[in-house]
Amino acid sequence: MGEQVLAALAHYGLPALFAIVVIAAIGIPLPVTLLLIVTGSLAEQGVMNLGVAIGVSSAGSVLGDQIGYAIGRWGGDALQARFIRLLGSPERLRRIDDKAKAWGGAGVFFSRWLVTPLGPWINLASGAAKYSWIRFTVWDVLGETLGCALYIALGMVFSDKVQAVGAILGDLSWALVAVIAAAALGWKLFMPRQEPASDSPSR
Amino acid sequence: MKKIHYQTIAVILAFCLSIGAAFFFGYRASSMARQMRRQNEPIRAWMSVPFVAHAHHTDPTILFQAIHVPVNPHDRRPIREIAREEHVPPADLIRDLQSALDKAAKK
Repeated sequence: MGEQVLAALAHYGLPALFAIVVIAAIGIPLPVTLLLIVTGSLAEQGVMNLGVAIGVSSAGSVLGDQIGYAIGRWGGDALQARFIRLLGSPERLRRIDDKAKAWGGAGVFFSRWLVTPLGPWINLASGAAKYSWIRFTVWDVLGETLGCALYIALGMVFSDKVQAVGAILGDLSWALVAVIAAAALGWKLFMPRQEPASDSPSR
Repeated sequence: MKKIHYQTIAVILAFCLSIGAAFFFGYRASSMARQMRRQNEPIRAWMSVPFVAHAHHTDPTILFQAIHVPVNPHDRRPIREIAREEHVPPADLIRDLQSALDKAAKK
């Protein structure tokens, strides 16, 4: 699948880039980081225009993110029920709802370019939690533009080492996801649990 | 009580797994970064001939000649596409390109 995606980019250029980033942003696992780095290399070789490549990839990513958000928000009861089943309980969805509202902007922004494996999940969760569409879109556009420009620029700088750079960035991204997971689990393990205040009289 | 006990064990296991994964991916990234300077990009079937030439700092003419394809620096067909049109396996073309690169490097 990865080979076909990169072959399509090499052969068809910008239309392929747009289509692939849209599909990936919805949540289909495709090697987008490597794709953007290869795009940077192609820009360095004069095959693509740098500004147009950043614009097309950002626009495609934002479109895919919007589709993910819309599925989460307006996907209907059946989809929400499936999401709740995936999370374990409606209580967890409520907690994600609260967190999405508290961390929403930062969560959307950083998952666009720093912890990219979480991106499609954040889109769905933001939609399901009914996080403000305007705020989601603003952070989404900022994050995706920064992410696309960053990876394409890296591809230009390391235009003769695209596979190595793609692999390194992929590993670093997963390492960061693991660190965040470890921090969250460590918090759960080692921080004292706060008992919810109860209105009922003690017996 | 028993449920809480199992939950705690699950969280501890997930915590250890996360730390292990962080070290694994971090180590792999750092070792790859160390090797990056020394190693050339392996040729893949998705690459076009000019792309391979750029990655190996070689004249694309040599590579086109090695696989018996008319020289065209604007030919953006991936190697797999050329292989399909020439009715040869992509692995054969990759092998020919690699030997041409090896020869060029020796000169």
